[in-house]
Amino acid sequence: MIDHFLAKLRVRDEISPEEEEAIRGMLDPPVEIPADKTIIPAGVELNVSTLLLDGLLCRYKDLRDGSRQISELHVPGDFADLHSFTLKYLDHSVMALTKCRIATVRHDRLKAVIEAHPHLGRMFWFMTNLDAAIHREWVLSLGRRSAISRVAHLFCETRVRLEISGLADRRGYEFGITQADLAECLGLTPVHVNRVLKELREDGLVAFRGGRVHIHDLAGLERIAEFYPAYLYLDKRPR
Amino acid sequence: MTLYRFNLYNGIGFVADEEGRELPDVAAARDEALKAVRGIIADEVLQGRLDLNGRIEVMDGEGPPVITLAFAEAVEIA
Repeated sequence: MIDHFLAKLRVRDEISPEEEEAIRGMLDPPVEIPADKTIIPAGVELNVSTLLLDGLLCRYKDLRDGSRQISELHVPGDFADLHSFTLKYLDHSVMALTKCRIATVRHDRLKAVIEAHPHLGRMFWFMTNLDAAIHREWVLSLGRRSAISRVAHLFCETRVRLEISGLADRRGYEFGITQADLAECLGLTPVHVNRVLKELREDGLVAFRGGRVHIHDLAGLERIAEFYPAYLYLDKRPR
Repeated sequence: MTLYRFNLYNGIGFVADEEGRELPDVAAARDEALKAVRGIIADEVLQGRLDLNGRIEVMDGEGPPVITLAFAEAVEIA
């Protein structure tokens, strides 16, 4: 159940059997969430954090006219709102983009685990730092990358994040989101995303079809995206 | 809600909308088409190019387009 989460941690540092046991012990039973459901609305007082087991979640904020900006995608194994442990409520909402399976952790249990296993506390801190690094990369995309490079970058980033859990390889991955969701990630309109997807397809780089990303030329895709995965901190070392 | 498809015809040829969007009415579909055209024009202008020859055709089924929006109609040129 927590294999994706453990894989994500173990890429960055050793996790002992005792630590693994503590993680297993703190989780509530898993729950299924239907697609398009907001599971954490902004501003609501929270006493649990959510671990994503399967599916895709996103963090988003809306303007009054209904425009939505998704600021991060969450893949299986992401501790999606570890932030609420210290923030107590979120300034943004968290929504299921596809059908998801999640497990929550009560904040009092999280506190007990962190006190008994300070190294896990640091690893959870690392996870929120990683979220911040991803946000910075998205700011760069939204502010500076061209439309085609933005789309390419999101495909590259998601590929690496899924590959950690064995859910992607060099040829592609299942990616069950819509072009409208992509548009909300990328600050583009769905029609514009569709046009850029056609360009990427015709350039022989990548095709997004039937809920799957088919990568035809990974090096070319990473080149057009200016994708350098250092911001995902994939090195294993004591933390 | 109705499923509207936004097919694009412009400089890079025809781009079919296979996904479509659920929207309440034709007015909402027109707003969506306007935003789409303006977004594409803006991106092209940033690359130093302005091509107003494109259009979006909005379909709500197999019949003729319910909206045809020429790029030139989406912006006021002073």
